[in-house]
Amino acid sequence: MLSADFVIATGIAYVGLLFLIAYVSDRRARRGKQSFLRSPFVYTLAISVYCTSWTFYGAVGSAARNGLEYLAIYLGPTLVFIGWWFVLRRLVRISHNQRITSIADLLSSRFGKSSRLAVLVTVIAVIAISPYIALQLKAVTSSIQAIAGARDFGQGSLAGIDDVGLALGVAAGMALFTILFGTRNVDAKEQHHGVVAAIAFEAIVKLAALIAVGVFVVFAGGGFEAIFSRAEAAGLDIYSSENFDSRWIAMNVLSVAAIICLPRQFQITVVENSDENHLRTAGWAFPTYLLLMSLFTLPIALYGLTRMPAGSNPDMFVLTLPLAADQQGLALFAFIGGFSSATSMIIVESIALSIMVSNHIVMPLVLRFTQGQGVGGGVSELLLNSRRFSIALILGLGFFYFYLTRDSDALAPIGLISFCGVAQFLPAIIAALFWKEANVRAATGGVAIGFVIWAWSSFMPSFESSSPLVAAIMAEGPWGIGWLRPEALFGLDGVDPLVNAVFWSLFLNTATLVVASLLSSQSSLERVQATLFADLFHRNGRTTGAAIIRGSATSDDLFFVAKRVLGEERAKALFATAAEEAGVIRSGPEPTPQFIDRLERELAGSIGAASAHVMLSKVVSGDAVSLEEVFEIAGETQQVIEYSQKLERTSTELRSTAQQLEEANQRLRELDSQKDEFLSQVSHEVRTPMTSIRSFSEILLEEGRLKPEERQRFVTTIHTESLRLTKLLDEILDLSALERGERTWENVPIDAEAALDRALEVCTALASQRSMRVVVGTRAPRALVAGDADRLCQVLINLVSNAIKYNDAAAPVVEIRSSAARRRYVIEIADNGPGIAKADRKFIFEKFARGEQGATSVPPGVGLGLAISREIITRMNGKLELVNTGEPGACFRVTLPLPDARTLAAAGTADGA
Amino acid sequence: MERGKLESAALFLTILGAMLIMPPLALLFQIERRFLGVPAEVIYLFVVWAGMIFGAWWLGRHLPRDRESETPEDDG
Repeated sequence: MLSADFVIATGIAYVGLLFLIAYVSDRRARRGKQSFLRSPFVYTLAISVYCTSWTFYGAVGSAARNGLEYLAIYLGPTLVFIGWWFVLRRLVRISHNQRITSIADLLSSRFGKSSRLAVLVTVIAVIAISPYIALQLKAVTSSIQAIAGARDFGQGSLAGIDDVGLALGVAAGMALFTILFGTRNVDAKEQHHGVVAAIAFEAIVKLAALIAVGVFVVFAGGGFEAIFSRAEAAGLDIYSSENFDSRWIAMNVLSVAAIICLPRQFQITVVENSDENHLRTAGWAFPTYLLLMSLFTLPIALYGLTRMPAGSNPDMFVLTLPLAADQQGLALFAFIGGFSSATSMIIVESIALSIMVSNHIVMPLVLRFTQGQGVGGGVSELLLNSRRFSIALILGLGFFYFYLTRDSDALAPIGLISFCGVAQFLPAIIAALFWKEANVRAATGGVAIGFVIWAWSSFMPSFESSSPLVAAIMAEGPWGIGWLRPEALFGLDGVDPLVNAVFWSLFLNTATLVVASLLSSQSSLERVQATLFADLFHRNGRTTGAAIIRGSATSDDLFFVAKRVLGEERAKALFATAAEEAGVIRSGPEPTPQFIDRLERELAGSIGAASAHVMLSKVVSGDAVSLEEVFEIAGETQQVIEYSQKLERTSTELRSTAQQLEEANQRLRELDSQKDEFLSQVSHEVRTPMTSIRSFSEILLEEGRLKPEERQRFVTTIHTESLRLTKLLDEILDLSALERGERTWENVPIDAEAALDRALEVCTALASQRSMRVVVGTRAPRALVAGDADRLCQVLINLVSNAIKYNDAAAPVVEIRSSAARRRYVIEIADNGPGIAKADRKFIFEKFARGEQGATSVPPGVGLGLAISREIITRMNGKLELVNTGEPGACFRVTLPLPDARTLAAAGTADGA
Repeated sequence: MERGKLESAALFLTILGAMLIMPPLALLFQIERRFLGVPAEVIYLFVVWAGMIFGAWWLGRHLPRDRESETPEDDG
């Protein structure tokens, strides 16, 4: 039999177990054995602190009252986690870099280390979370009562204690437990390995308990089919038609905001994160956990509604269903599960909040009060005490809220009030991560306005039952002003009160943030921080707001401050490391800006960015350079750099000009030597025929007794040689005219095929004379190219006649083919002659180059034909080349571009060079 | 896939998931019918949920690993 005493004893024993786990884990962590604690799964399980009593008990109640609505609370976080790459990864990275300790610290740090914003966020968080703490107290109280109330004799020592007394006891116990748990030391990064381990353990317990109850219900109810059918038969609306209305959207938005903004989620997901890559696992594992937690909610709710007597509290079905079936063991397990959910939430939430309170409210007060001088007794101790006090305060507020609202009975609506409260941080956080222009006044204003509207439209109405004044305002509006009624703000009547509150608070919050940011400007420190936040992934290495404080502070001054905050041991270690890195032994490290910045971040890890900044500024304020001055210096430096860059550019330009001149000169010299070479070649070519003419004419002049036939032969030779000489001079003139572009050249549309026909006609005679076969292969149809018809004909005749002349094969053949494809017109002239020796191929188009002659009797050409031909074809924008077909003989190819009709028409007028 | 595409896929998965669980798409499954004894919209939501989890699992394995953020070593 379960009695209240037994259940309470079990609860206390369970807490003892948690304490043991935390203690062992802490010791392991301290000894550096963190392999298990640093696993991504422990991290994921710890994130599951999101699932509180609200999930464990309240979701079933919510499902029983409002159908599918409860799922929205888990779908929102699912979205945030599957999109971890975009928001959570940034948060974790920035928080690691900046040593962020809480959500208030994050916002304060981004918005210029503003203490005012940090205080505001802290106050809002403490107030907004109080309903949530109350929810846990209420759930634990109700669960104890549900068990105790089940049997008359089960009351035990609880007899005579009402729920308020019980809740007070629970709150006190929780406060004590959390203080023992979470405030044993001040950690550099506010990481609590022991707590995380205990929370992960609790996550397993609550999941197992809920699934056990779920399986039991499905089993007892005869399967899903039977449960839903029975519910339908009992007149329950299992297809609620209001599933996906505006309330659904509002709840999704709230849960998205909550998973980022709830102080405990921020603490676990961001601050306790030891490795960014853990998000990779949490990205899918946490949604899986949520899915498993919600799997049986609906069946439990429906089964409870059909089985339990009318009027029983659906929030407690998880507990009362096993009790009703006399499953004592399962009921106890369920109680432990619910207890786990409540304790884990309270522990982490109050640790997170206490860090915020001590860093952003207590520390600044102490700093102001002591003028930064006599922080006696060590800051560490002060911090710990202020945290202990904060925890007590937070649980006290939770209890107070519980006391005032004890008459309302559903759990889920209380939780939604908290969600809506912390959601006011979301616009500022998103702006902090992504929008550089957002400034501190806008962020403070937005958060404050959102908070006021939330307090009016969501927080205050929860006191309706305990305060007649609130009830009156709810009904009539303050002083009878109807449009200020909390649940129909600005006349927005007829929507769900939750939707009303969520919409107005977030809308006005965001609007204020955006408009005020656009209208006002940022301070310099803010600009630095904004860049650090928004350009997080665009930087190489870690960039910090270094060099902000420079002063005459000595290493001793700094050590004094560090010792006060971090404790003697850690301060010593920090200074020793810095000195070692700087290469200074025995004395402290130089108080360089880098070192001061590092120290500031180190201190920020303990007391928050704003306090650390104030504290160090006080110590080194002697001749601190203001940020504005730094910017000015930076501006001047920038100008100097720009000027020197300009100089450098000019000098580079000069260098490149000189280089070009040098190249041009080189080219001129080459051309000059080419000209000399050409002249000597020409002289040589001219000399041979001249010599023979001269010698023959001398013979004719001197020898009077020549036979007539001999005389005839000599005269013929002189004539032939003169012709050759004329031809040579003609060709030289032609080539030089072509090369120097003296002759006007006009490319007009011509039919290349017609030119080819003409060339063939001319060559046929020559071919038949040498009993040679001219094979005409495939021919292209009419091909219009831009060029000079006569010149093209000249080139073709030259090529064909070369092929005929130098062919000494037994059965000489020359093949001519043409084709037009892909905007190119190609003529190929191939023969089966000796071909061109490999060594000559390269030079065949050079002036006076002649191929190795075969054993032909043909007189050698002057060696300008191919050079002229190539020049002509180049003028026609084409290409003349010797192609290697792999067959014996030579193959020349003429390629000419086939322009489209438009270009062709234009060709007639253009290109006169 | 390269980094840019993977990041886009992650963004798309998130936005698509949000759209699927919101009206009007979610309303398409409010059809007063049951599968395996469970109302269609419940099945639908859980299937979308599982799909998102699978997508996140796959992306988590493939998204590029950044260099470990430079967290200064713990002095305590």
